[in-house]
Amino acid sequence: MQEIRLSHTLPEVFAMHDDLQSEVWQQDVTFLRGKTYLLEASSGTGKSSLCSFIYGFRSDYQGIITFDGQNIRRLGVGDWTRLRQRHISLMFQELRLFPELTALENVLIKNRLTGFKNKKAILQWFDELGISDKVNSPLRLMSFGQQQRVAMMRSLVQPFDFLFVDEPISHLDDQNSRSMADIMMEEATRQGAAVVVTSIGKHMELHYDQILHL
Amino acid sequence: MIWKLLRQHLSTLQLAGFFLANLVGMLIVLFALQFYRDVKPLFSQDDGLISGDYLILSKRISAIGMGSSTFSQRELDEIRSQPFTGSLGTFTASQYKVSCSMGIEGVANFGTQMYFESVPDPFVDADHSRWHYAEGDPIVPIILPRSYLAIYNFGFAQSRSLPKLSEGLVSMIDMTLVLRGEGKEERLRGRVVGFTNRLQTILVPQDFMEWSNRRFAPNADVSPTRLILKVGNPADQRIAQFVKSHGYDVDEDKLQAGKTTYFLRVASGVVMGVGLLISLLSFFILMLSIYLLVQKNTQKLQNLLLIGYSPARVSLPYQLLTIGVNLVVLLLALGLLWWLRGQYMQQLWAMFPTMHQGSMLGSILLGLVLFLLVSVLNVLAVRRKVMAIWQG
Repeated sequence: MQEIRLSHTLPEVFAMHDDLQSEVWQQDVTFLRGKTYLLEASSGTGKSSLCSFIYGFRSDYQGIITFDGQNIRRLGVGDWTRLRQRHISLMFQELRLFPELTALENVLIKNRLTGFKNKKAILQWFDELGISDKVNSPLRLMSFGQQQRVAMMRSLVQPFDFLFVDEPISHLDDQNSRSMADIMMEEATRQGAAVVVTSIGKHMELHYDQILHL
Repeated sequence: MIWKLLRQHLSTLQLAGFFLANLVGMLIVLFALQFYRDVKPLFSQDDGLISGDYLILSKRISAIGMGSSTFSQRELDEIRSQPFTGSLGTFTASQYKVSCSMGIEGVANFGTQMYFESVPDPFVDADHSRWHYAEGDPIVPIILPRSYLAIYNFGFAQSRSLPKLSEGLVSMIDMTLVLRGEGKEERLRGRVVGFTNRLQTILVPQDFMEWSNRRFAPNADVSPTRLILKVGNPADQRIAQFVKSHGYDVDEDKLQAGKTTYFLRVASGVVMGVGLLISLLSFFILMLSIYLLVQKNTQKLQNLLLIGYSPARVSLPYQLLTIGVNLVVLLLALGLLWWLRGQYMQQLWAMFPTMHQGSMLGSILLGLVLFLLVSVLNVLAVRRKVMAIWQG
């Protein structure tokens, strides 16, 4: 997949607002494979909604979103399953991890589906992110910041053309943010993928090709 | 790992409740069918020689013995033209004297006067290689009423301290038949090839009857006194009306047996209905517990779908669970049925030593059909539930 295009897209809840100032909503925006984007927004401006629309689990928007020219409203269940396994990855703001599983199992449950990384590489990441001692801890016993790092790893154990990370470092210190950004960019660069980072203030220090204000 | 996630909130109590309810329901359904199939032959008198779909028709004998007891050609044509008549055969009686002596290894020890009757061969379901006579054959095949054997075993033999005879043994006994008429006499050997509950007469093949009547009583009147009638449905109301209006008799026990079979069918039907109802309720218990489980695990299922698991893959563990439970229920129900059947079959054999072995094939098939039906519905319901989560 080479591009994601938004044409006059607007969440339905914003349809009543006529004083909307946005570089994304109701505009023509194109995300290209291989580029890096920052979506800056204050809370309540719909950045998680945007991720949901593009990831196919909400469709309460006006306008058109296309993947390589194809309207995503026409995609079926099988298409979305394939896209989520091979083309688009999303690190959810609310993480959506499984508290019943251990940290490692939370990553493996995705990796088992894609068979993308070996266990050794995943343990290496745990090490680089400073939570190697938590590999076998139940996730529910970990802090939100630690869970964010697990969620990041889970979003990386698959092939993707576009990686969306929704407020990835809200609970991390600068050093951990940097480690996370390094791992993420290394994987994205290796895959030649686009990275779209959202932020409501603190954001990852990266070389962004474009910064958009929601 | 998915199973580790999805088995959360799985209630063993609900599952056990379903398991028991389904087992009881399935067992009752299968038991009713099996019992019906095992017991029905005892009433329907289908003994493999003369099918139960035949009616035997005769004229009512009046108190003073007046009137003709034979059927005229006009009467035969009338019966043949009735809408319920499938095919019609006439009984032919022997018109000469027959005496018979029986003995083992040539020692005659039992002699009697007797008679023969015959019906056209298509009405007899015996093997045609055995049920056949050509002029000059030394042995005449004979079918005896089963009640004759009972009269001998429980009446005659009992009072005279004679050995009781099994059907197998009777078939080995030599019968010497002496046929007399028109000043001729001939000795032949008879061999019992089968027993019937349906006809209270001594049957010989039609070919033998024609040959012997021609030889020993060429001038006798052979108008039939009894008819054998193949009908589509013995319970047809028109038959009863026709028989009544013409003053004919139909063998009563056939009608009695019909009633008993009818009540047996009704009773089995009611029991099966109750079993099906219990099965249906247990099915709802399972569906409810699965729905509850899916409901409680909605978040997890949704997350699995969002990280790229397909609805089919996410549904699979629950589908396998229900199929597994259903399968165990089926196997256990069949096992229990086999055991229960063993218990009552011993009783039945003690009462009816001649009954057929029968088989559990029908019940196994019904069990499989129920299993497949319930499993398919379960699988579809789980799938529907997961798709509802997909759609948010």
